[in-house]
Amino acid sequence: MIRIVRFFQIAFCMQFILTALPVSAVDFTAAEKRKILRHGPWPLPATPDPSNRVSGNPAAVAFGRVLFFDTRLSTSGSVSCATCHRPDAGWTDGRARSRGQRAVDRNALSLFNLRFNRWFGWDGAQDSLWAQNLRPLLDRREMGIGAAGAARLVRADRSLSCHYRLVFGTAPGADDDRVFVDLGKALAAFLETLVTGRTPFDDFRDALAGNDAAGRARYPAAAKRGLRLFVGRGNCAFCHFGPAFTNGEFADAGVPHFAGPGRADPGRFGGIRKLRKSPYTLLGRFNDDPTRSTAVKTRHVRLAHSNFGEFRVPGLRNAALTGPYMHAGSLKTLADTIRHYSTLDEERLHAGGERILRRLDLSGREQADLVAFLDTLTEAESGPKVEVKSEDLFCR
Amino acid sequence: MIRRRLRGSAVAAAFALVLSAGSATACERLQDWAGARKIAGKTWTVWWLSEPAAIPVGAHFSVRFRLCGPPARQVRLGGWMPDHRHGMNYRPGVALAGRRGVAEGLLFHMPGRWQLILEIAGAAGREKLTAEAVLE
Repeated sequence: MIRIVRFFQIAFCMQFILTALPVSAVDFTAAEKRKILRHGPWPLPATPDPSNRVSGNPAAVAFGRVLFFDTRLSTSGSVSCATCHRPDAGWTDGRARSRGQRAVDRNALSLFNLRFNRWFGWDGAQDSLWAQNLRPLLDRREMGIGAAGAARLVRADRSLSCHYRLVFGTAPGADDDRVFVDLGKALAAFLETLVTGRTPFDDFRDALAGNDAAGRARYPAAAKRGLRLFVGRGNCAFCHFGPAFTNGEFADAGVPHFAGPGRADPGRFGGIRKLRKSPYTLLGRFNDDPTRSTAVKTRHVRLAHSNFGEFRVPGLRNAALTGPYMHAGSLKTLADTIRHYSTLDEERLHAGGERILRRLDLSGREQADLVAFLDTLTEAESGPKVEVKSEDLFCR
Repeated sequence: MIRRRLRGSAVAAAFALVLSAGSATACERLQDWAGARKIAGKTWTVWWLSEPAAIPVGAHFSVRFRLCGPPARQVRLGGWMPDHRHGMNYRPGVALAGRRGVAEGLLFHMPGRWQLILEIAGAAGREKLTAEAVLE
């Protein structure tokens, strides 16, 4: 009997040691700490967008929220922005490839933290958030109402017209394009408010910065091991850099880029070409920043053959809520995404000699650790529920 | 006739000496260029200064530079990440006024070792100068 009790005592102690061991085993080096610290602090300061004169304007936020949920902005009258960007689904739609009025080739990107982007959309064909909001209104597969249709709707509808007047100081004028762009700017003012909250990672990062041992100890051991891989052998932080976990640029992640039989999605290559043809860029007449300081990227962006098949590096905050992943939603879960990089087919990369992505050959535990780390980038408390207030619907 | 030519040559040589001495003096770092770095090549030497002073990762920056050496017709700037074998996604614009210039639109989009590359062309030939920067 005593022997049995002693056996259980030893077994309990062993289990305790095994459970405790990984926590103390992850002791970050000075170089690792520096790499970890650059992923914060969070949240970033929120500065208004100088290219949008109603950025940060509460009346514009309310107007943008109304527009976001308004199905009359589609030619069928049945699709709104919220059809593909559902507030209850991480501002995506959970589909691999989205469906507006018709199916499209790409996955609906989440709307979290857009205000910190340099480029917008998977291919970066838009250089401002307000221009990005115009794209689905022009694409017949998505909403397709067009500039003239949208301007007509706002002029004719008493409530929308009232909102417009409150935000822009005048009634919607005769210039369709001007009214259309202003709708994009009101939508942008609303979308700028969708900033993710603090996460367990942020608490750990700040504890690391402040040398708070108790705070560091609260962070799960598996997440610590995953974080070490993220900033180290995984090479993830080259592209998923900084507090928003994106360098804001484009990469070929080695996923197939055929949009259909015999039809390739050119990605960034097509995006830059679209940008150069668009009348709605920061180089054009709709940029409210007279200094054009925000247009440096647009003026200097370079089109290269290597841009073919590149897609925007998405931020990873709240990534756990926004699957499926990659530009065409080809990877269903975060675990699938980690497995993709672990078993990467290097032949599939159109890297042109680049040496960033390499097959990682991660063990099962390492893959699980990376997922555990990514899970800690999910905000601890979701923000207030986004809905249209009744008083906003009846502006008079 | 010959004497006049010789005298002409001597004057030209003396003038060239004064000019080159002048350019050597002018190649000292300017007083308001604290933190400027120097790259010395065979034909040209360049003082350069980034704005902001610490090159950021993933944000645009500009470079002010000053050339020492013969006049340059064109200066181009670029970036290269030797470990990854890729350059920048942007083509900087360079405004050159005499021996001074400003390049705008540079962006190093990853942490790690970058090379800032200056390609200088003029009647004296072409030269490629490289400075290294490690971004964290």
